[in-house]
Amino acid sequence: MTAKRKFNIGDRVSVVDKTTLFHHRTQKFTRGQSGVVTEYRPEWVIPEDEAFDPAGNGRKEPFYIVRFKQDDLWPDYTGHHIDTLETEFSESWLEPATSKGKR
Amino acid sequence: MSTRHDGHGHGEAPGEFQIATKVSEFEILELAVRELAIEKGLFSAEDHRKFAEWADGIGPHGGSKLVAKAWVDPEFKQRLLADGTKACLEVGIDWLQPTGSGTPSDYTFFYVLENTPKLHNVIVCTLCSCYPRPVLGMSPDWYRTPNYRRRMVRRPREVLAEFGLHLPEDVELRVHDSNQKSRFMVMPMRPEGTEGWSEKQLAEIVTRDTMIGVALPAPNRKSDTKTETLVSGGRRR
Repeated sequence: MTAKRKFNIGDRVSVVDKTTLFHHRTQKFTRGQSGVVTEYRPEWVIPEDEAFDPAGNGRKEPFYIVRFKQDDLWPDYTGHHIDTLETEFSESWLEPATSKGKR
Repeated sequence: MSTRHDGHGHGEAPGEFQIATKVSEFEILELAVRELAIEKGLFSAEDHRKFAEWADGIGPHGGSKLVAKAWVDPEFKQRLLADGTKACLEVGIDWLQPTGSGTPSDYTFFYVLENTPKLHNVIVCTLCSCYPRPVLGMSPDWYRTPNYRRRMVRRPREVLAEFGLHLPEDVELRVHDSNQKSRFMVMPMRPEGTEGWSEKQLAEIVTRDTMIGVALPAPNRKSDTKTETLVSGGRRR
């Protein structure tokens, strides 16, 4: 819990759109999308390592809850403009928001 | 076999032992892994029996208690919102049980999502079926279907409408996709018409669906409607 966090609550971040051979829990619908950090979550072993070593010896990273606007995630969103979605990422899946969101 | 009364199927005498006709591959796999784990000394057969007993005993009543207590006790509500895992201990739910370190998929990071007049929360796990089992028990079949999982993130207002829940335009609908180790439960708003009710009375209207976020509590609503779920192949559950 001592590692310094790269992002703060309120920061605008983008989800990295990368391929990986390893097990991960980063949904495709969030890749390349931008949102705002709303909560810190404890540091724990990332899924990429945990899948191969459930004993918890893998690399640890801080986690974050990120809030997206539904309008940004789905071009044909059928709800209302105020609707949002929150989900969680390990730090290496996030980067400072790029000015243009990728669709 | 279909017409002969040879002691199988419908011809069985009352009280005769019923034998499961088919064991799934997953059941065989579970049995094999369990036996290996016991042989290796990871846990004992008695531990396994205790885990099974625990799994049979959990249900949404724990969550109902949490919400009802929060409705009548503002200080408890603050503690619940600040540290859900810790506040659970006050109603007898220990997220470290039954193993002493939590169950393999429940972890101990529990967060309660408060509904307000301007915000409605709903939970889903798009990647699998993560669910706050210690407080809500086993998830309903529909919660685990690909249909609920992909549509709740993409077309949440339509899915809620199918459950009979229509939210006004000025209420923010916030979908929580529990894709990592956090587990969530919705704290619905206390409905009108429940003034002066006891904590026990209130708990009766806080049903499972109101804590998933697909229904709202009401004074005359004490159970969730049973929803038939079509799983792959059109089999009804």
